[in-house]
Amino acid sequence: MSISTKHRILESAIRLFNQNGVANVRLQQIADEAGISVGNLAYHFRNKDVIVSTVYENLFEEFSEILSFYLKGPGLADFDQQLDLYHAFFAKYNFYLIDLFEIERSNAAIMTRWHQFVAKMLLQIRKRLDYCVQRGLLIPEPVPGIYDTLTNNIWMAIIFWVPQQILKGQSFSADHFKNAVWAQISPYLTRRGLDEFAVEVQPIGSNI
Amino acid sequence: MKPPFLLDPSLYAQVLDCLSNLFFTDKVGDTKDMDFLRDDRWLSDTAVIDQVSLRKGLWLISLVFVHHKMPMKFLMRRITSHACPRRAGMMALYMRRLAAKDQRGTLKIESDSFHTPLN
Repeated sequence: MSISTKHRILESAIRLFNQNGVANVRLQQIADEAGISVGNLAYHFRNKDVIVSTVYENLFEEFSEILSFYLKGPGLADFDQQLDLYHAFFAKYNFYLIDLFEIERSNAAIMTRWHQFVAKMLLQIRKRLDYCVQRGLLIPEPVPGIYDTLTNNIWMAIIFWVPQQILKGQSFSADHFKNAVWAQISPYLTRRGLDEFAVEVQPIGSNI
Repeated sequence: MKPPFLLDPSLYAQVLDCLSNLFFTDKVGDTKDMDFLRDDRWLSDTAVIDQVSLRKGLWLISLVFVHHKMPMKFLMRRITSHACPRRAGMMALYMRRLAAKDQRGTLKIESDSFHTPLN
């Protein structure tokens, strides 16, 4: 019973953080959303900081899980599956990126963790490009350093695509998200890469 | 917030390289790679005989696996050796009971089946 109440409180907090931003949510609102009294909420979480910290703890755990999905399989579909997970993550925690700069000011520990994840993400994308070149799916780097730029562009598409859709007031479906990322990569695909993309990735949902 | 497990970025890059290389170094296996399992399948239907013999001052325990229908098909394996003959005998008994499918020893091998020439 206690676990489910805690879970309900955290789910309500995430919903409210997404709607109003972390700074604009009060304990009373979270309690109302979860359908419990503030006293009951205080029994589970001492104050809002503890809720925020627990939400971030879960958030980082989920993000680590996504990173652990690196190269589970040899094909392009593997990256497509990881993109699905990224999309689900940023759709669930969209407050996270929108409030990122605000969070940086108030909680340095969270920002440090985020920097570590960013470094890992960039490394994963870069190594994946190298791997695809080795497999003959991507053309060898046409100009030195261009794949570093491409890595950065892919990373930006993954991270900022959902917030920019919210900013424009548009929906952020997984297919559109993946299209935005694959559009960065597709100009560098070889004939073999395009074939594999057509067979393994496109039928799953994207239409570039 | 509990402190995260941190891996040095260069080490993490190496780990990713190793993961990428797995798909180049690992090759799809062939069915004949598992032949050793099929070749040894007959061992599951064998009578096991233990043998204790003196060798280089120690009592050597060997197990003889004999096919229960074709006694001329057998395999002998040296298991271990022991200084004490009584203990070696005991260990041989336990080894045999461990290895034998037919632990009660109802599968018998007739000595006549070996057709040993006596001349």
